[in-house]
Amino acid sequence: MSSSQYSKAKENDKSKKSFTRLLFGKLFGGKKELSIFEEEQVQSPFRTVIRTFRDNKVSMTAFYTFLIMFLILTIGPMIKPIDLSFSETSQQNIAPGFDFLKFPKELNGKVQDIAIGPTFSLGVSTDGDLYIWGKTRVSRTIDIKAEVPKGMGKIVKVAAGFDHVLALNDQGEVFAWGSGRQMQTTIPDYIKSLNNIKDIEAGYQNSIILTEDGYIHYFGNAMNNDYNEFNEYQGQIKQVALTADAVIGLTFDGQVVYLGMMDNSYTKIPENMGNVIDIAATATTVAALNDQGQVFVWGNISTFSDGNEAQVVETDSRIIDIEGGRTHYTALTESGQVVAWGRNYYNQASVPKELSNVKIERIYTDFYQNYAIDENGNIHVWGLKGYLMGTDDIGRDIFTRLLNGGRMTITIGAVAVIISTIIGVIVGGISGYFGGKLDMVLQRISEMVASLPFLPFAMILSSLIGNAMSATQRVYFIMVVLGLLSWTGLQRLVRAQVLSVREQEYVTAARSLGIKKYNIVFRHILPNVISVILVDATLSFALSMLTESTLSFLGFGVQPPQPTWGNMLYGSNNSVVIQNYWWRWVFASIALSICVICVNLIGDGLRDAIDPKSHER
Amino acid sequence: MGKYVAKRLLYMLFVLAVMTFVLFFLYNLIPGDPARAEVEPMKHRLKPEEYQYRYEQARKRLGLDDPLIVRYGKWVRNLLKGDLGISKVYNKPVIEVLKPPLKVTVTVNIFVTIFSLGITIPLGIICAVKKNSKFDKVVQVFTIVGYSLPVFIFALLFIYAFAVKLRWFPVSGMKTPNFSGTPWEEFKDMMHHLTLPLIVLIIGSLGGMTRYVRAAMIDALSMDCIKTARAKGLSEKVVIYSHAWRNALLPVITLIIGWFMSIFSGSLVTETMFVLNGMGKIYIDALNNQDYNIALAIQLFYIVMAVLGNLIADLSYGIVDPRVRVNK
Repeated sequence: MSSSQYSKAKENDKSKKSFTRLLFGKLFGGKKELSIFEEEQVQSPFRTVIRTFRDNKVSMTAFYTFLIMFLILTIGPMIKPIDLSFSETSQQNIAPGFDFLKFPKELNGKVQDIAIGPTFSLGVSTDGDLYIWGKTRVSRTIDIKAEVPKGMGKIVKVAAGFDHVLALNDQGEVFAWGSGRQMQTTIPDYIKSLNNIKDIEAGYQNSIILTEDGYIHYFGNAMNNDYNEFNEYQGQIKQVALTADAVIGLTFDGQVVYLGMMDNSYTKIPENMGNVIDIAATATTVAALNDQGQVFVWGNISTFSDGNEAQVVETDSRIIDIEGGRTHYTALTESGQVVAWGRNYYNQASVPKELSNVKIERIYTDFYQNYAIDENGNIHVWGLKGYLMGTDDIGRDIFTRLLNGGRMTITIGAVAVIISTIIGVIVGGISGYFGGKLDMVLQRISEMVASLPFLPFAMILSSLIGNAMSATQRVYFIMVVLGLLSWTGLQRLVRAQVLSVREQEYVTAARSLGIKKYNIVFRHILPNVISVILVDATLSFALSMLTESTLSFLGFGVQPPQPTWGNMLYGSNNSVVIQNYWWRWVFASIALSICVICVNLIGDGLRDAIDPKSHER
Repeated sequence: MGKYVAKRLLYMLFVLAVMTFVLFFLYNLIPGDPARAEVEPMKHRLKPEEYQYRYEQARKRLGLDDPLIVRYGKWVRNLLKGDLGISKVYNKPVIEVLKPPLKVTVTVNIFVTIFSLGITIPLGIICAVKKNSKFDKVVQVFTIVGYSLPVFIFALLFIYAFAVKLRWFPVSGMKTPNFSGTPWEEFKDMMHHLTLPLIVLIIGSLGGMTRYVRAAMIDALSMDCIKTARAKGLSEKVVIYSHAWRNALLPVITLIIGWFMSIFSGSLVTETMFVLNGMGKIYIDALNNQDYNIALAIQLFYIVMAVLGNLIADLSYGIVDPRVRVNK
């Protein structure tokens, strides 16, 4: 295309004013067209720069995007603070989505039974139909929903364990599916011949069948769970409750008994509880309810600040039913009210207000989900709905980590840039203005720093010096290393600028007035080269974030559990994670990419705005 | 020219001396006391006094109590002899350990160099000549994205798309395990494994280089001599490829040389992610295994490469631009 053709094409292009262009023009302040008789107002150079920058739609979009991200990352961590020591085995590698509590509408009004797993729930309707909802993929290969056995007939009861499920039909047959690594889904033959099964329970890698005549049949992991098959209470058990590692029973005559062999905190059963009518268990505690409505809690009660299992709530009327989640209890009173206590970090113990207007008849609680059935058969839910961006390999919410990690990444980038800018400006200013031997020495030092291989050198420093540091010290260390290794480019730029303005009249004037040399450099010359510094700082801010991410990704930057966008990707470098747990790398990658692209676009736009020649180009 | 070269060489030696001193400083940071390590196994057989005596002997023999400068001298002398110490993990001299990975890295980088230069230089020139055209703008957007994204994100995306979903290429490794065949088949097998890392490396370097070439070329095209050349009635081809390109070459040489150095660090990420047994991977492994002799040897290698790169850049300035050697 010759140049005349090209300019014609460009004019054509200009005359087309699409809707988006109008929209953008209004939003981001397009340049006003001046007629030939008007005269453009004279502006200070700084204002011209801002104006030119504002006319650059791409840069403005990038600027607003970055601003929004920045605001989110500043405010977000205050709303969703991070608990660095957090881990939750029941919530590992969960896909994004809020469907934990999305029960099928068909179930409303005819709930027979509900069983709750860590991320999924099962419901049985009064017609005997089985419904499964939530995140049913309990591992890479096992999907609870896909493995439902065929021909189970009319189901009457279901039980959900950590990663397996039990179901009982009206013929008294038991079915089990899901993860069977510990034989928790392999039903022993003698159980198949039982015809008086009363209840089924599923826990952490174990399953329990309770018969009408008070016998317990246990199968699954016998190492992790303390259970004595030949316990003295066989034949007297009315109800069982499962913690994450023990089995507790309630006898026909209202006694709570421990069904294991060990002597531990569960065996410290409170005395004088009276006639116990219901028992429940969280992962580490046991609760018993007597016929007076009194609740007793014992076991390994957690010591977190956000509430614990022993803080039983006062109620107006007598408690008649008690259910245990993973770290909280819910209870139903005689008047149909629901109360909950215990840890509340997934809002699992925050009973919704609207429940006080209806009479609740039944409650189902396990893990972090709660279902309450009112007298009309409607289902009310509260608790953990799911995760916006899924969870990582130790059950941490990726969204929370993304917010806090982003703040850390941006902070490290910014501090590193501030350090490198200060060094670069001082060295470049002195070197350029004074010249001579000082310049020579400073330039040689700068060249040496520049010839250090950046990433490997940062890595060996981090490995030799950083390993002896605490997590917080290490964050500061990374900032300083990044800053100390990246000032050379700016130094050269400032020096060249200072060299070019050094001989200008205003500097000569300043000198002849007897102003101190340092004042000339830093108060007279520097303000004139500030635009160059600004552009370079913006671009090297992007670079610093990239370098920090790369370092952390390789495991030599900020160490987990402190998140940054880089180290959130650490460990996702294998095909298993890449393929199956895409949410563990996609979100952090996107956030980092958008942020760096925006900063680069802003820097580019600034450079174009400052360089008057850029319009001719 | 001779004087210029001599000056640069002298300067290079000076930089190397300072650099090795920095490395020696790092070397001293390595945790552990070699003398203690030597006598420690005999501790339970010796009396305390005897143990202390032996320990002091070992310190003296290893020269641990000498002044810093003496120890530095000894260390440099060993370096010059090619004695970089023994690798803790492989139990072999460091030089032996580093030979195979160096071969891999050089092989990979030759391909990457050819491809990236082959793509970016023409692309940069076309963008500069047709600047502000639609084509240029599209390329600009892509290059910004290209140099904004870290290499590991490219690698993750490519592994996901081509290795996990489409299954065109293996996820990692250099060759099929237990593969044997004719040299041609082995070469084909290796290329099959190397395609993905090569693409990632090339794409990772495209963005920055294209922008750089474009900027250099735009600067060159706005020179007065280009206007003169056009006014003389020279064909556009001659103007661009002979007059402008020669002026753009100076910054481009800096780029090529600088990039030659950075490709070693760039392959840190790629080699680790694709499990290629190159310098980058062995460096990270050495740091993770605390095999610091290897890490420092590679560090030294990187520094020598960088200093050599600077020297080559300086010398080629002298060749490309006669003004440089006159001035100095």
